[in-house]
Amino acid sequence: MKYQVKPLPQVDLPELRTVGKPLRKVDAMGKAVGDTVYAGDYSMPRMLYGKVFRSKQSSARITRLDVSKARALPGVACVITGLDVPNARLVSDMPGQTGQKQRAGSDVPVLASEQVRFYGEPIALVAAETLEIADKAVSLIEIDYEPLPGVYDPLEAMKPGAPVVTPPDNIVARWKIRKGNVESGFEQADLIVENTFRIPYQEHAYLEPEAGVAWIDERGAITIRVSTQVIEHFRTIARAVGVRQNKIHIQGTMVGGGFGGKEDITIEIYLALLAKHTARPVKMVYTREESFLAHAKRHPYVITHRTGVKKNGQITASKIEMISDSGAYPYLSPYVLLYTTVMAPGPYRINNVQVDAISVATNNPYTSAFRGFGGPQACFAYEQQMDDIARQLGLDPLEVRKVNYLRTGDCTATGQVIESAAWLEETATRAMAALGEQSPNYGSVKIGQGFASYFQSYGRITWMHDTSQAWVGLELDGTVTIRAGVPDLGAGQANSLCQIAAEVLGVPLERVTIYTTDSALTPLSGTSTATRQLYMSGNAALMAATAVRNVLLNRASKYFEEDIEALDIADGKAFIKNDPSQTLNLVDLAKMCASEGMHLSNLALFKAPFTDPINPETGQGQVWPDFTFGSFAVEVAVDTETGEVTILKAAACHDIGRAINRAAAEGQIIGGGMQGLGYGLMENLIVKEGVIKTPSLTEYLIPTSMDFPDIQAIILESGTGLGPFGAKGIGEPSLTPAAPAAASAIANALGVSISEIPITPEKVLAALERA
Amino acid sequence: MKPQMITLHINGRTHYVALNPNLTLLVALRDLGYTDVKSGCEKGDCGACAVFLNGVAVNSCLVLAAQADEGEILTAAGLGTSEHPHPLQTAFSDAGAIQCGYCTPGMIISAKALLDHKPHPTDAEIRDAISGNLCRCTGYAQIIQAVQSAAEKMDAGGEG
Amino acid sequence: MQSEIELHHPKNLAEALTLLSHYGPDGKLLAGGTNMVVELRDGHYNGKSLVDLSHLEELRGISKQDGYIVIGGGTTITELIDHPLIGAHAGVLKEAARLFANPLVRNRATVAGNLVDASPAADTAPPLLALNAEVQLMSQTATRWIKLEDFITGVRKTLLQPGELMVAIRWPVPSARSAGAYTKVGLRKADAISVLSAAVMVELDDAGVCQQTSIALGAVSPKPFRAHAAEALLKGKVLDSALIAEAARLAAESTRPIDDIRGTAAYRKRVVAVTVRRLLTKAVEVLK
Repeated sequence: MKYQVKPLPQVDLPELRTVGKPLRKVDAMGKAVGDTVYAGDYSMPRMLYGKVFRSKQSSARITRLDVSKARALPGVACVITGLDVPNARLVSDMPGQTGQKQRAGSDVPVLASEQVRFYGEPIALVAAETLEIADKAVSLIEIDYEPLPGVYDPLEAMKPGAPVVTPPDNIVARWKIRKGNVESGFEQADLIVENTFRIPYQEHAYLEPEAGVAWIDERGAITIRVSTQVIEHFRTIARAVGVRQNKIHIQGTMVGGGFGGKEDITIEIYLALLAKHTARPVKMVYTREESFLAHAKRHPYVITHRTGVKKNGQITASKIEMISDSGAYPYLSPYVLLYTTVMAPGPYRINNVQVDAISVATNNPYTSAFRGFGGPQACFAYEQQMDDIARQLGLDPLEVRKVNYLRTGDCTATGQVIESAAWLEETATRAMAALGEQSPNYGSVKIGQGFASYFQSYGRITWMHDTSQAWVGLELDGTVTIRAGVPDLGAGQANSLCQIAAEVLGVPLERVTIYTTDSALTPLSGTSTATRQLYMSGNAALMAATAVRNVLLNRASKYFEEDIEALDIADGKAFIKNDPSQTLNLVDLAKMCASEGMHLSNLALFKAPFTDPINPETGQGQVWPDFTFGSFAVEVAVDTETGEVTILKAAACHDIGRAINRAAAEGQIIGGGMQGLGYGLMENLIVKEGVIKTPSLTEYLIPTSMDFPDIQAIILESGTGLGPFGAKGIGEPSLTPAAPAAASAIANALGVSISEIPITPEKVLAALERA
Repeated sequence: MKPQMITLHINGRTHYVALNPNLTLLVALRDLGYTDVKSGCEKGDCGACAVFLNGVAVNSCLVLAAQADEGEILTAAGLGTSEHPHPLQTAFSDAGAIQCGYCTPGMIISAKALLDHKPHPTDAEIRDAISGNLCRCTGYAQIIQAVQSAAEKMDAGGEG
Repeated sequence: MQSEIELHHPKNLAEALTLLSHYGPDGKLLAGGTNMVVELRDGHYNGKSLVDLSHLEELRGISKQDGYIVIGGGTTITELIDHPLIGAHAGVLKEAARLFANPLVRNRATVAGNLVDASPAADTAPPLLALNAEVQLMSQTATRWIKLEDFITGVRKTLLQPGELMVAIRWPVPSARSAGAYTKVGLRKADAISVLSAAVMVELDDAGVCQQTSIALGAVSPKPFRAHAAEALLKGKVLDSALIAEAARLAAESTRPIDDIRGTAAYRKRVVAVTVRRLLTKAVEVLK
């Protein structure tokens, strides 16, 4: 064993009956037998098929657009161009929530009419009687372009005289952190280490391409049944389409994978426009290739770290510069950049920090949310930097980190105090220990082990004033109904609410039914993004279920003639704790309450901490509610003759606060870890002059079942999170440390580090030549 | 294009359909309402559309419907219902092997194809058998556990 | 999407050949469909007629005849993996079949389809080249056997004439004193198009002197090919590590790789040398 694993601090978690158990999720069986009706599985009578006509240029003026032949084709119901819908623009901000002033011209036209800024930009919409006719109509649209100079490298785009993607300039967003004094920090240093890291695009590659059906209902509302992470986009859609907000109705479906790629508006805006123009139901399903073209990617970054350290590894100053490629439109780039900025120094206690971050517009594919939201890019850079510091000081990687790891009570670079457990050494030593003894080298194959630690927020930026609602009700047969607008991406977002309500109301999980994801019929629960649903909606469900429980206990206390504190509810019965033979069936109790006019349901609103925005000059202030901490360890075999890397072992250890469903939590840890390993070693979105050269799953490779071993998932439960029962979030954090851990292991095997992912065989051979 | 009349026996039901000869079996199945057969790439990269055609697991996106004329087709929904699930469907549900679920029907077809020939597979054989079924959510570990657990149950005398 | 295609389903080989003869250059074959159906979807196929061979039992089967292993052109990749004759007499082909795409594709894709498609990265080509395979082309009027090495002439180019069909592939049963080895380098451990692939066969006499070698390479030239110069170097000699390294170098020299999204030409050339060296070493070790 390389590192000593110390016992965990004493944690006193109450025993729970349902929460924490690896129960069958409420949505699982419907998916296993094919009953779940995904967005593309739904059809309506008299339905039309929609298609999008897209740009074949990365940067050009549209000099002629002629849709007359397409319109004249028999079976075509309508063709819509930007000239038909001049006001259809998507604001890439979250209205009413950020309070930030928008940069001029950063709105996205739904359909480009004068100029195209990226390859694949939508220009026209078609609706036709059949898919074949719609395809044919798209092929009949005529367009002439006048090519405009494009810019495809964010560093070039920042230079004076570079082509401007959208006036006034290519700077989409800037963030800074100023803490202490880095110059005096560098003066105190025994060693200064400087490195530049290049981190690439990543494609979400969810298995379900974007899909949906829209129609106008009997109240005149445009109803859109769609696969989305954010049903609250109905407001943006209403503005873009030109109807009242209460006349857009989103019915979210089970999402066939999101990972941030269904966080921005996808096809629902096209469906709304086509349904409005034709007054008929319209279906649209992207092909895989169109999905690649149409949705955002993870941001590529160039990150430079300059770090001053003492001989023992203590960091005296950290100066970081980062540049991200926002692509042709900003979308969520300013927020992703904020995340990367604040996480830039890593989970380390540093008195002198300076971060300067810029997001830059180019004519490349646009970039926005992807699981981790800027955190993985920051982590790759800070953890490779820590490894290099250790190498240059001749210290062990864990020793260097231990000197600097954040602890509870410490401040982040933006001055936010860590209030929950910060189990960094605890997770790093356990993840490494899970790898066991390092395998020996053989032939030209070198073996290495490495790890990465991270911190990653859960919950949204606190000045967005995030809220979530959930409704919980007890039926008269003792079953429980939940209503919550939670989009379920498969991570167990809906199930966790059920497991919480089952715990609180003392019923088995199979007696709980949840209705979700309807912007008109379920209370709004906010977005399934930012690792926020368990934290936010889980708390809302806990509040609502507790309110119902209190009604029941009050009535039961009269029945038993006992204090409320003396009673409990479990297995469908209220009972006296000291004398469990004295019971009252939940069905009878519910009937008593109902006949006496007591409220057997509750709608709760949970509010995250509300803060003011950080100081724009110094970055000081609270940014998020809290953080998840953890580590990931990897053992690799590197063939030094072919450059091929094989992962032999992988282990992830995270403090998730409290597991609500252990199997689901493990699924997040393993699945997110594999996406991170794919990002580090395999996934390679090649973009030339704005055109994706790996445009489908044939060329853009994601991990198969053969590529990586099982990731051992080690769950720690500090019980200190802000979520229900002390839970933290794990959806996004699971991905963040995987790629840097793999890179560390490769560097450990080769004795030379590789500062750019994905670490392809060719990069391995190139690194060996440098060594 | 002249539509062609073909006969498809799907999950025990017989359908007579007229369709264009260039339509894939995937499109035909989904148009007939077998939407448990998922479309993920339409070029054989992802396996979401896997079905049994005459006892052989295939990507239905790589077969023209007309090639399947008179064929026996079995989809994941034909294996069991939520009331009476196939052991694989139960095991996938219980092992946490299902997240978004979009790959699940195809994954279960490939798993069944394996167990039909090898009732006691190793983990490595399971990995190989599902290597044409991409899953972006789970990282595969719980899927492999589910197949092992189904194999044990089926061996213990459960339905095969 | 293609709109004007006639699809034919001949009931036997004779009917298929009649249809092919009738349509000439306008007729195209549909076997496993793993490439063709995608081309149809993408609208890349602009012929008029498709002749579906997927039902023709006459094109299937694996047997041993007159010192040859003979397989029907419609044999699927899965059938290669499972058949004892392939395991016994064509380990290189079995290994290539095991690494071919994925099980769902292997259940449909056929050997003839893979060869006629003539991709530089066609997975069955290097092992069959290494086995000295010949292919049988049949038309309504004639039947001919030609060497696989000659059959593929360039990127997606072959000697297949309009009206012709690849009905069988055969190779001489390798000597008991021979051994083979196969490697595929891809960017993923399953379901990946080759960055490069290589198959070797080595035959030694009792004294350990090399009687015959074949070295076949894929995805490093416009077509899969045999590295004859390297093979010639080894003939009649005892294969020590220096000689093997030299042959590997010659094999690499004979490649004409390109830069593409999967790798650079320089990487391919370099790794061909490593791969061929390893495969020859492994084959010799097996024979010792």
